Amino acid sequence: MKGKKFYSGIATALLASSIALTGCSFSSGDSGGDSEGEEASGDAVTVDVFQFKVEFKDQFEELVSMYEEENPDVNINVKTVGGGNDYGASLKTSFSSGEEPDIFNVGGPTSVDEYEKYLADLSDTEAAGAALEGTLTSVKRDDQILGLPFNQEGYGLLYNKKVFEEAGINPDEIKTMDDLEGAVETLNSKKDELGIKAPFAFPAKEKWVMGNHLANAYLADEFNHDVMEAYEADTVEFAMGDQMKRFTDLQNDNSIQPTLSLDYSQQVEEHFSLGNVAMIQQGNWVYNTIASMDEEFAQNNVGLLPIPVEGYEGSIPVGVPNYWVVNKESGEEVVQASKDFLDWMYTSDTGKKFVTEEFKFIPAYEGYEDQEIADPISQEIYNYAKEGNTLGWVFLGAPTAWTEDALGVAMQEYIAGDITWEEVEQQATKAWEDARQ
Amino acid sequence: MKNRSLAFWLFLTPVILGLGIVVVIPFIYGFIYSFTNWNGLTATEFLGFQNYINLFQEDEFMQSIWFTIKFAVVTVLLLNVFGMALALIVTRNIKSNNLLRTVFFMPNLIGGLILGFIWQFIFISVFGDIANLTGIEGLNGWLSTTNTGFWGLVILTAWQMAGYIMIIYIAYLENIPKDLIEAAKIDGASSFQRFKNITFPLVAPAFTISMFLTLSMSFKIYDQNLSLTNGGPFNSTQMVSMEIVRTAFSDNQMAYAQAKAVIFFLIVAVVALTQVYYNKKREVEM
Repeated sequence: MKGKKFYSGIATALLASSIALTGCSFSSGDSGGDSEGEEASGDAVTVDVFQFKVEFKDQFEELVSMYEEENPDVNINVKTVGGGNDYGASLKTSFSSGEEPDIFNVGGPTSVDEYEKYLADLSDTEAAGAALEGTLTSVKRDDQILGLPFNQEGYGLLYNKKVFEEAGINPDEIKTMDDLEGAVETLNSKKDELGIKAPFAFPAKEKWVMGNHLANAYLADEFNHDVMEAYEADTVEFAMGDQMKRFTDLQNDNSIQPTLSLDYSQQVEEHFSLGNVAMIQQGNWVYNTIASMDEEFAQNNVGLLPIPVEGYEGSIPVGVPNYWVVNKESGEEVVQASKDFLDWMYTSDTGKKFVTEEFKFIPAYEGYEDQEIADPISQEIYNYAKEGNTLGWVFLGAPTAWTEDALGVAMQEYIAGDITWEEVEQQATKAWEDARQ
Repeated sequence: MKNRSLAFWLFLTPVILGLGIVVVIPFIYGFIYSFTNWNGLTATEFLGFQNYINLFQEDEFMQSIWFTIKFAVVTVLLLNVFGMALALIVTRNIKSNNLLRTVFFMPNLIGGLILGFIWQFIFISVFGDIANLTGIEGLNGWLSTTNTGFWGLVILTAWQMAGYIMIIYIAYLENIPKDLIEAAKIDGASSFQRFKNITFPLVAPAFTISMFLTLSMSFKIYDQNLSLTNGGPFNSTQMVSMEIVRTAFSDNQMAYAQAKAVIFFLIVAVVALTQVYYNKKREVEM
């Protein structure tokens, strides 16, 4: 009995002290919060930015601090959460927990719809006026412009200039599928002399490379290059399905094998950067990766060929992958400050310079004529875009996850030899129609 | 006595609070959400059992369950066999005992994601090179078919977790009284008989624990799956947890994914509890 009393004594003591301690921590937490609140509520406006592009986090924060220096009454907090899926999930979490950011990012029309009731109209901003034609389609709702484009991105077939030269292939003459097949044949016959293992590295493991990018080149025409048209379409016909099959076969048959376990990093780093292959189907975003493997190669040796699409020879798919949006529930003052910041970033001289030189963006706005675009791949894409030789990015308008989990998976099954191409189209069409019922 | 039970509950309060806040309440919320059309932001409709009906008609989900069950059966067997074998090796009186224990346990210290990438390199590049050198066709193209993907995952998991299971077996093996073994030896029992009739029954509790651990672990595996095959090719090596995460975060069907998670929880709970119940009955008291 004595022992028991002893223990319960300890228990009571421990408990009492822990309660006392908890009390402590609560009160200190409170006072901390208060003082912070006072600081912020001076005259300054605090804008919380929640963005997903990890690649330019440091540069973006630098730009933000430059802005804060110019505008001492604005406080900008930047929170970055890593790409793709994670960002969407954390954005949702912050909304459902009530810590809504003031500026955040949305991708295609699907997420615009999802967040529509939070999005402020940005049509009165300078940046919206300067945005290039066609870059605002997926954020237009009625007369409102709900988002501002991040940048432009484009893709095609990146080729190794040196290998092409040694093989005696003139890239300017490759326009149609026949031309490309001819070039691949030449490369195949001279494989050993050129020191390459195969003409292509085709990462069939990456569903997005096939389902998003490859397919988009052949679906764009069907939806008139308009992402909103794809977004509202009840079905997909694969009008250019034959060409899509031909291009998939061409890449797959002439790639390093087995393609189904070949992934993005093997494709870009191991095979293309090290000169194992002559071509890969990728876009300007791989520049930094290639440069980190071989700076000199990235600077001088990478060229861009358009994907051969009948009727669109010499055009490449260019689009806006993401948009900045402002949360209209943040209060008028904050919304205005947010707009000012975005305007400054894309239309002031300091901002413009930063966007091209530090962010290495392909600008989606007018007025960048005198800026130099950082890397050669982006430069080529910007040239295509300027001349209007572009295909739309319609894949962002496809039903959620359709590009990867319906089309991408079906194409993988096709490559594995489990189903025919007709079945690929049937499966994908069915999945599209089911999703749009 | 009253005093004691009060202290008892007071002591327990922090843990119960913690468990409640991070496990029980979210679990209940999730359960409720699984009956709605919640998309992560708002739930506008109460669907009743619609999500549950749909998921049983979805080929992909059923296929991932089937794949996970196959995987679990194979890994549980292999893990326990390997774990036991390793434990038997390092409880012999050999010199490098401690070194071996460390070495066998080490894979377990590397995170699943990293391991996945390392093994991906081994399966694809190293196996490929060996195949080129020796001409063994079977080593080519690993992870590019469903079968090699499956065995890749099994090998990876067995390699990673065997050391952990070994530790559990070691603890029990070392607790077996030496006199029992000696007595059996004197009576002329062969080493196999000694293992079968003395060692094995006495490590039965370890068996219960290990089975439970390996079973629930091989059902819930995610990071190895993600980094080794990422479900490929064509989502055929996708295990249930990965399927659920994908439904939730890339298909954006939070409530539907939650319904899948509830079903998954039920399966794991039933399997693991049945197993514990039967193994417990078999244990012997010393």
